[in-house]
Amino acid sequence: MITRRDFMVSGLTVAGAGLTVPPILAKSVFAATADGVHNDRVLVILQMGGGNDGLNTVIPYADPAYMAARPTLGITPDKVLPLNGSVGLNTAMPGIKKLYDGGQVAIVQGVGYDNPTYSHFEGLYVWEHADPARRQTDGWLGKLLASQVDSQGHPLTGCALGQTSTPSEMLAGKATVTVIDSVTSYDVQGGTGHQVAAPALYKNTPGIYGALFDQALSTAETGITALKDSTSKYTPAASYMPQSTVYGSKNSLATSLQLTAEMIVTQPSVKLCHVVLGGFDTHQDEDQRQNALLAYVDAAVSAFMQDLAAHGQADRVVLMTWSEFGRRVHENGSKGTDHGAAAPLFVIGKPVKGGLAGEYPSLTNTIDSGNLKYTVDFRSVYQSVIRDWLQADSVSVLGGSFPELALIQPV
Amino acid sequence: MGTATLRLSRRKVLAIAAGGAASAAGARVLTMLVPGRPATAAAAASVSASGLAWASPLGSQRALAAHLLRRAGFGYSDAELDAAASMAYGELVDMLLNQSPPPLPAAPDTTSYQMVVRAWYSHMASSPAQFPERMTLFWHGLLTSDYRKAARFPFVLQQNQLYRSAGRGDLRSLLLAVTYDPLMIRYLDLDQSTAAAPNENYSRELMELFTLGAGNYSETDVREGARVFSGIRTQLVDAGGKPIRPPKYSAASRQQHAQQLAQLLAQGATFEGTLVSRQHDGGTKTFLGATGNLSPEQAIDVILKQPSCANHIAQKALTYFCAPNPSSALVDAVATRFRDSNCDIKTLMRAIFSSDDFKAKSNYRSLVRSPADYMVATMRALNRADLAPTCVKSGAGMDQILYDMPTVAGWPVNDGWISSGSWLARVNFAAAAVGAQRSFPSPGDAIRNQLDSVISADTAAVYNASQTHTDRWYAVLSSPEFHLK
Repeated sequence: MITRRDFMVSGLTVAGAGLTVPPILAKSVFAATADGVHNDRVLVILQMGGGNDGLNTVIPYADPAYMAARPTLGITPDKVLPLNGSVGLNTAMPGIKKLYDGGQVAIVQGVGYDNPTYSHFEGLYVWEHADPARRQTDGWLGKLLASQVDSQGHPLTGCALGQTSTPSEMLAGKATVTVIDSVTSYDVQGGTGHQVAAPALYKNTPGIYGALFDQALSTAETGITALKDSTSKYTPAASYMPQSTVYGSKNSLATSLQLTAEMIVTQPSVKLCHVVLGGFDTHQDEDQRQNALLAYVDAAVSAFMQDLAAHGQADRVVLMTWSEFGRRVHENGSKGTDHGAAAPLFVIGKPVKGGLAGEYPSLTNTIDSGNLKYTVDFRSVYQSVIRDWLQADSVSVLGGSFPELALIQPV
Repeated sequence: MGTATLRLSRRKVLAIAAGGAASAAGARVLTMLVPGRPATAAAAASVSASGLAWASPLGSQRALAAHLLRRAGFGYSDAELDAAASMAYGELVDMLLNQSPPPLPAAPDTTSYQMVVRAWYSHMASSPAQFPERMTLFWHGLLTSDYRKAARFPFVLQQNQLYRSAGRGDLRSLLLAVTYDPLMIRYLDLDQSTAAAPNENYSRELMELFTLGAGNYSETDVREGARVFSGIRTQLVDAGGKPIRPPKYSAASRQQHAQQLAQLLAQGATFEGTLVSRQHDGGTKTFLGATGNLSPEQAIDVILKQPSCANHIAQKALTYFCAPNPSSALVDAVATRFRDSNCDIKTLMRAIFSSDDFKAKSNYRSLVRSPADYMVATMRALNRADLAPTCVKSGAGMDQILYDMPTVAGWPVNDGWISSGSWLARVNFAAAAVGAQRSFPSPGDAIRNQLDSVISADTAAVYNASQTHTDRWYAVLSSPEFHLK
């Protein structure tokens, strides 16, 4: 088995022979040519960190059990944005509603897995590794990236945007992930001397972290070169409003998704993107906090889709949301909700087959003293985006096949 | 510095590493120290797939002292290493373990977490008692928190002081104090937990993350634990311990509230946790096999009796201080000594620092400095505690903001820190640190003292090509060697 280390060292042998920085365009456009994937499709993963309350996102407003379980947090039917006679979206999501009405949003209901955990870390692990048994050590996106999309390890193919560390989903033995907090901060500062010195320190570093260190600097160096001219080639065609402040913090997701759009528009190598918005762990004051966060998601995703369409990129991008769990059916005594199980998620984009998928779980026939029983295995969603959207092999990433979900429009 | 370029032979550099002898003052050129490999770029490129290892200098007393100071503290100035290297290793360990910490210098506003963090960065850089500061950071990463929960109260400062004072005693006292710590009470929602509606957050994380680890308790234990810890609230007490009414707050009276609170605090008032009986579930609970009307104190005792507790803490401490993947035999051995000492934290740490594993060749540079670790080590190497405000600003780009961790599980370790973006932030911190500097300690001494004269061909080449002290220090502080410990 080839390890990431072996791979990096052989890569550096090439670098030692004279190619200090791999020319990005020669390597990137169809980086996947040597791999299994031959298309220009992009998948964006939006992580809603902390466990989003699905019941107050896609609201079963016609079910009397809902208001009974949520006497203070329940959103009354007059405030819901109805999708049909039984479920509707949270008031804070008019932009997603509009996209839904335009057939560009699939809402998968009741997503989860058997014997759910109520721990953030175990729940994250399950979703990040596509493994309810928590035995896999590679993140599912990392595995996909390393085995089928970019086995050559190019920068700017797998990107974590608006972040400063590699998300666990993208961590895998051989996966090369470019982590970009912002375009301006992504540079070696302090003048030309430093710009030469810093990467030169990391060409053939000894030790157990040597390959990772060298890879980080080489990825940074190539990314810097590519990003230098990207900003001049991109003007946002939508208003992301990253400065809006609803609950004490700015809409960082808007900044991240604008950066994602810039990358997609200007960098043909970009294939898998990861963005995150945290704060959904609403044990208290959920009415204010979750509404604010959903408003951020709504504003950022709406602008992102509008921006992509204006740049003629809407046909090549699908965005999927996820969160480590939903929340308990009954609210707690602190105007909040405790950790729960199944929840809905969104798959958004022009190529998406819009509408409701899966069944809404019963609010009364529950598991573990008041948690929703899943109706859709989360790996069915992964299967759909891997196989039907990216046209890659989902079985090797997920370790098997899962019940079918039609989330992508047939071409 | 000398003007002539003196190329040390490989043998001479080996001698420096092995014997700790001072090199000629002004020598600015070193070479890669890797056994069996000539220090040339051509040879480096033909490295085998298994890669090169750092040549461990830990056989030398000076290098072993440096290794300990980097891990038990945050690094050192040249003079501090000289002093430590003159002591026998066992004496040095005892000296560190018995250090008593000077108090954190007062921040101008004790309710501003940024001012408290700035004061702490400065203190980590300048306090001669390095081990207490290291333990404060270790416990902060394990018994986590979030500054946002402190709102307009001095809770970040209080928790920081708690970990400094209780972080080297016994685990029982520490866990009890944490359970009643105002920031923890808010962070994991204890203040929201009532007999009628127990909140599970603290109960779960206490067992999963802080003491036992996943798989060593059941969901029933989580729910029963939530009942045990229901009713814990924060109160303000005066200097005599008598509860007093906190000043009234409204958005309009923010300024007035801050002044009144500052006045009370100046008079010796403090916030403390207390069990409010009317909010506490006084019924019978069954928690980790123990049944009765358990109090929080009794529940902590039940936790401490679980065999997994000492192992969990030993595993966390070994991963942080000793080896990236400590063997289960090592964890068991250290856990046994910890357990046998009634979970005395100094005994735990002595067991780690004295272990053969700690001094093993394989554990030389086996840990990656966290961003805070890296920045404080930089300040200490440069004698520049005044860089603390830059540390506060630079943490975010490296993914470590003190009192603002990504999740309640704390920060990553080792390879979890390594990414392209965070490494840019690190070398950019080095640029900021050397850019503002007017006079420098000898960079040649830094190669010897900070990097043990064990450097890669790349680092040697960049150092040799540097024309100024600024650039030489940039090479040292940006080098992979300096990010490891």
